[in-house]
Amino acid sequence: MSHAAPTHPVLDPALAPPFPQAALPVLRNPQLRKNVAHAIDVIQAKRARLVTEKTDWQELRTAASAMRAHVLENLGAYLTEFETKCTAAGGIVHWATDAAEARQIILDLLRKENASEVIKIKTMTSAEIQLNPFLEAAGIGTYETDLAEIILQLGGEEPSHIVVPALHVNRSQVREIFARRMGIKDLSDDPEALTAAARSYLRQKFLTVPTAISGANFLIAETGSVAIVESEGNGRMCLTLPRTMITLAGIEKVLPRYQDLEVMLQLLARSATGERMNPYTSLWTGVTPGDGPQRFHVVLLDNGRSSMLAREVERQTLKCIRCAACMNACPVYRQTGGHAYGSVYPGPIGAILTPQLMHMHHAQSLPYASSLCGACYEVCPVKINIPEVLLELRHQVVDQERKRAGRIFDPMYLGLRIANLIFSRAWLFHAAQRMARIGLRCFTRKDGWIHSLPSVGAKWTQTRDLRGLPSQTFHEWWAARRKEAR
Amino acid sequence: MRASLFITCYNDTLFPETGRAVVALLERLGVELSFHAGQTCCGQMHANTGFRGEAFSQAKRFVHLYRDAETVVIPSSSCVAMIRDQYPGLFDELGNESLRKEFAALLPRVYELSEFLIDRLAVEDVGAYFPHRVTYHASCHGLRALHLGDRPWRLMAQVRGMELVQLPNLDRCCGFGGTFSVKNGEVSSAMLAVKLQDVVSTKAEYCTALDNSCLMHLGGAMHLQYAGMKTIHLAQILASTEASPAEVTE
Amino acid sequence: MSASATSRQRILDSIAATTRPVAKAPAQLAEGYAALPRGYQRIGQLSAEACVERMIERLREYDAEVVESTPDQLPEAIATQLGSSGRHTFAAPVGLPAEWYAAGFNWKMDSSLETAEIEKAEGVVTAAFCGVADSGTIVLHHSAMEGRRVLSLLPDWHLCILLASQVVETLPEYFRRCPQPPALATFISGPSATADIEMTRIKGVHGPRFLHVILVHDEGDARPTPQ
Repeated sequence: MSHAAPTHPVLDPALAPPFPQAALPVLRNPQLRKNVAHAIDVIQAKRARLVTEKTDWQELRTAASAMRAHVLENLGAYLTEFETKCTAAGGIVHWATDAAEARQIILDLLRKENASEVIKIKTMTSAEIQLNPFLEAAGIGTYETDLAEIILQLGGEEPSHIVVPALHVNRSQVREIFARRMGIKDLSDDPEALTAAARSYLRQKFLTVPTAISGANFLIAETGSVAIVESEGNGRMCLTLPRTMITLAGIEKVLPRYQDLEVMLQLLARSATGERMNPYTSLWTGVTPGDGPQRFHVVLLDNGRSSMLAREVERQTLKCIRCAACMNACPVYRQTGGHAYGSVYPGPIGAILTPQLMHMHHAQSLPYASSLCGACYEVCPVKINIPEVLLELRHQVVDQERKRAGRIFDPMYLGLRIANLIFSRAWLFHAAQRMARIGLRCFTRKDGWIHSLPSVGAKWTQTRDLRGLPSQTFHEWWAARRKEAR
Repeated sequence: MRASLFITCYNDTLFPETGRAVVALLERLGVELSFHAGQTCCGQMHANTGFRGEAFSQAKRFVHLYRDAETVVIPSSSCVAMIRDQYPGLFDELGNESLRKEFAALLPRVYELSEFLIDRLAVEDVGAYFPHRVTYHASCHGLRALHLGDRPWRLMAQVRGMELVQLPNLDRCCGFGGTFSVKNGEVSSAMLAVKLQDVVSTKAEYCTALDNSCLMHLGGAMHLQYAGMKTIHLAQILASTEASPAEVTE
Repeated sequence: MSASATSRQRILDSIAATTRPVAKAPAQLAEGYAALPRGYQRIGQLSAEACVERMIERLREYDAEVVESTPDQLPEAIATQLGSSGRHTFAAPVGLPAEWYAAGFNWKMDSSLETAEIEKAEGVVTAAFCGVADSGTIVLHHSAMEGRRVLSLLPDWHLCILLASQVVETLPEYFRRCPQPPALATFISGPSATADIEMTRIKGVHGPRFLHVILVHDEGDARPTPQ
């Protein structure tokens, strides 16, 4: 029944290897790195042009940041307002504390509909709760309808970006996947032909499958409406043709009023795809007689989110509107692509969101997957200070790991603790400098450079030389100069 | 004008020529410099690795050492960013009221070198002579944390004999990131390779910056790959004159 | 109590516990909302004429075909557009002015057409609620003149009639024209598109591949109508 690949792997933070290790296969795959760099360089250039054109960009960011912060501070009030209004408009609101509960609610709804198939609008939240494999195992065929998601689903691939999930796959790889899975001979690798193939492949599904699943870009508390931002029209198909629509939304997605979209829509497309506005944004409110699905369910998902609200630093994470500007700007992501993050949320936002969604029990390497260059914060349309959150999470990771006995002998931990002791007294620091000068002498070549170091130092010297220590430190020079002057 | 020089731990140990250049430059401009013998580290390495308690103890030391200074000048943008962006949080969480007050009083007197020249001394032409082709790497902390803006450019524009070449992708990180360069050594190296391509494409003789940590990373790769280019802290270029050219480490 | 009802309480309790120090009392919530910063540009700065020009320019940038017309010549302009499309069967909402249904074409009038019937239409003609010049966006509220959502979705060719008086410069100005939020809204900016394969922009995936707009100079716009 299903068109999913037989062994569709799942990005699961609980199972993923640590980031430095997970990044290796990509770093050794020049084609993949080229695909990723090309895609994000294109988006970055388009975004930069449009942001420069928008003279009130910073004011929009300020407004969006304050609005999202206000919502999160008052999330309970806005969520219940949304629930009341959505229910009054004919929608049915469900609440799910975790992924398992959300999956079960959705499966139960589909069973009530006697659904054997479901069409889906791209939703990272459904990937977060690993919905597709669950439904497939329960005998319900899932059909992704976004072009990138079709590529991934048919190819048995995993998303590597939240807006352009298949950006790591190039045209010839898409051609191969489509030719094999759609059974089309003589398919060219022209993106236009590939897009046309996807269009005709899905057309019948849109017209016949009676149940659909979507995510939500925004929930409007004032009206109980849901907004979806998309490009292809697959979203509009799923939102209008089926008889039943199920929307899965994180609890943080709410905005106070309809008018607030005037801020978010101006920021989102420009940040996400470098367009002034995405081709289609749809808004609907409960059930409208004669227009679109006549049964409508919203599943509000917590799954770790409410616990992130307690402190201002971490709370910022939930301001995110999933534009992916941070990953497009990130020099680390540009090298590693998305899979290394071991989560459906890659890049800088993933590095702070994933560990918190896992209650800091998994993905502890992610807060370190950043050089703290600040490019993510600079582009974030809702001003999430990602470096600040990264530092907070690093601190939490260190506090966890300090308690583990094995860490005492870890060279990095040991080094940092010794360094702290050394820095606490100038005479100790100066003694350490002298010892290092002597210690490193045997590694220093005639040209004054160190070409290879043992242990942690090898991580440095495998791609960089290190200048040998000069014979006189600055403070020694200063002291000698003072003596002379006297 | 009196200024206390916070040289930073890695400049003291690895790049004393940068410190000597700052001294030559500022004394030439009539600044009365002092150097506190008790100084060690600002705590950035610990803070950025998640060792908050340790970072706090360094931060506290910094405030105690410099609370009486007229001004503090620091030739390292990332250390200044540490003081400006991270000390307040550390003191809120771990400090007491008197420490917070002392720090609040001290902070406006802490300057990165180019800030000190432009904002405090109001000088752009420092009388430098450096007859070389140079490209400038705008370190992330200088660019996005300190918002140095055109300060370095205004200073470089006045250096006689120097040909300044624009570095492509100026706002992209070189991949150093402190302990990131070791914890995520392979990723850091991949970022470095990209940056190095851009730097080499300028065909400059020197790559300069206001932060020796990026330069240590870049220079190490240049040396390994015989890139035929050297790194030099901007302080050394600004200190350089016809009579006393910059000290350059081969 | 159902599982979901219990979960509802658990989630709301958890939110209440974590946001207690910052959450506003119900009475102060509206005040807090009203105090949010709104320093961005809310009112446009262009003249009405320049605003319409920008609308046209931005529509064209996103590959929409735009022609201009006066109110008098609109029926003729519609007929010309339909004729030059090379298509014959058109869907349209029932609420359009009678003279818009140009003679000589096969019309499928929608109030509750079956999906399969709409799918058979080669094109669709609708009115619009608003045009936003800044982004070249057309907003539909799906009234009797704008049609149900499915109507402007399935046919491959969409002709949208936009009045100059409906064009605003900025997105916030559109929202000012909505004292009551609509139950349904679709914001259309150019034809359906994707850039999912190597960031190459491809027109037309599932929505209409062709978006045509007739910009009608109502409100006494003095500019000459192009031939």
